[in-house]
Amino acid sequence: MMTPEEIEACVDANARALGLVIAPEHRPGVLRYFALAASMAELVNGLPLGDHDEPAPVFTPVSPMTEVE
Amino acid sequence: MSGDFSQASAIAMAEAVRKREASATQLVEQSLARIAATDPRVNAFTDVLAERARAHAADIDARLAREPAAAARLPLVGVPFAVKNLFDIGGLATRAGSKIEHGSPPKAHDAVLVERLEAAGAVLVGALNMDEYAYGFTTENSHDGPTHNPHDLSRTAGGSSGGSGAALAAGQVPLTLGSDTNGSIRVPASLCGVFGLKPTYGRLPRTGSYPFVHSLDVLGPLARNVRDLSLAYDLMQGHDAPDPACAARPVEPTTNQLARGAMGLRMAVLSGYFEDNAGPEARAAVARVAEALNVRRRVELPEVVRARAAAFVIGNAEGAALHLADLRRRAADFEPLSRDRFLAGTLLPAQWVLQAQKVRRWFAERAAEVLAGVDILLAPATPRPATPLGSEQMDINGKMIPTRPNMGLLTQPISCIGLPVCCVPVWGVSAEGLPIGVQIIAAPWREDLVLRVAAALESAGVVSAPLAKL
Repeated sequence: MMTPEEIEACVDANARALGLVIAPEHRPGVLRYFALAASMAELVNGLPLGDHDEPAPVFTPVSPMTEVE
Repeated sequence: MSGDFSQASAIAMAEAVRKREASATQLVEQSLARIAATDPRVNAFTDVLAERARAHAADIDARLAREPAAAARLPLVGVPFAVKNLFDIGGLATRAGSKIEHGSPPKAHDAVLVERLEAAGAVLVGALNMDEYAYGFTTENSHDGPTHNPHDLSRTAGGSSGGSGAALAAGQVPLTLGSDTNGSIRVPASLCGVFGLKPTYGRLPRTGSYPFVHSLDVLGPLARNVRDLSLAYDLMQGHDAPDPACAARPVEPTTNQLARGAMGLRMAVLSGYFEDNAGPEARAAVARVAEALNVRRRVELPEVVRARAAAFVIGNAEGAALHLADLRRRAADFEPLSRDRFLAGTLLPAQWVLQAQKVRRWFAERAAEVLAGVDILLAPATPRPATPLGSEQMDINGKMIPTRPNMGLLTQPISCIGLPVCCVPVWGVSAEGLPIGVQIIAAPWREDLVLRVAAALESAGVVSAPLAKL
């Protein structure tokens, strides 16, 4: 479980990396929702999965509109 | 020509036009009059397209005057309908409930599903209110005002397709379209007491609609009876290449299957998570439906809490990434109720999202194992009936939880894995006289089964969508 300090550090570092300036009046809400997402991520990471478990999305290659005969 | 069709089904309206008991113009004028009389209180519509609707209805009437036989080829001839304002409408900017998109260029074309309904003779009369960018379950839209539940104007209509549920309950139109990412068709259907179909992920093309979460978004119809719902769904089926998620499946009609009812289907109530997170009205509604269908069996899906968490993480990250440019430039213009969630969502580590996508497949595989032995699963659609507008917390079995993010608690694990669901409205289980929905769930691509069961329940008088007394 991330501590409040770790959440603040992660929010600040990631926001900086994205060039996203978080206004002071938005900051408490952002920290609260990041903490909620972190608790959801903890649940997600708590399910034991193996190296061969596939993610849900499957890429479909896109064919050109016209193909060589 | 005379008669009041405001309470009629879409099928009855079209039948009246075919029999020349009503004209398309008359149906459209009645819808516009009902919207004018009720929408100042309900606020379902953000745009009433009176000019477009009148012109289209006049075209239909002129065509039928020239060629009466054409009516037989138009299953929804003259039927007024409306769509959540994330569907493209030619000549309008697609706002998706936002202030920011007001400034985007008007669309050249209608969304594919709007085109398909109009090709069947239906007439678009307007666009409907929603939570901004579909990120909410209450349609408390700070830019356009909240949509009020027609059955109790002090309460939420649910969301994010709140206008789509409310317009039906208010009798403004007999058919609407919405979108569902985490529950946005099923929640308003439950709270407004109407029928909603969330098709399988990838069934109906999303071409020409504003996205929320590409991995999860589906579009679908809402109506006041199962036959209208099924017909509209059938008319919208069919592959459309520009939507990469749209499956290349043949049209699989459901209307001709409804009479088969629930006969021969193996059914079970979902226990565990879906009971633990259901309030007394929700549990009573499921019990009533189960009793009517003579369902005694109970099954449980594993790790539902983690599946819901996976949907949350995927939705938060994907939905937020879509708006990063505007979040950088003009965060203050976002809906205050969802802005901070969007800002936070841009910052999630990649591993969280990738792992959530693995959990999603794992859960889909477990659900498929359960669905190998049972055709239909029953679960409540919302934890409680409609809460008052502005409600911050709701009581679920003695535990207070935040209302806005949790109204979709029971829908989210199901859309996480793309299963088709018909949400059916049950009455008489709430002290306040409010409706609440039950999810009828089947394996992927089996919309026919969920609609058959819904039709059986409707025939038995167990579920219905009466108009609100406004």
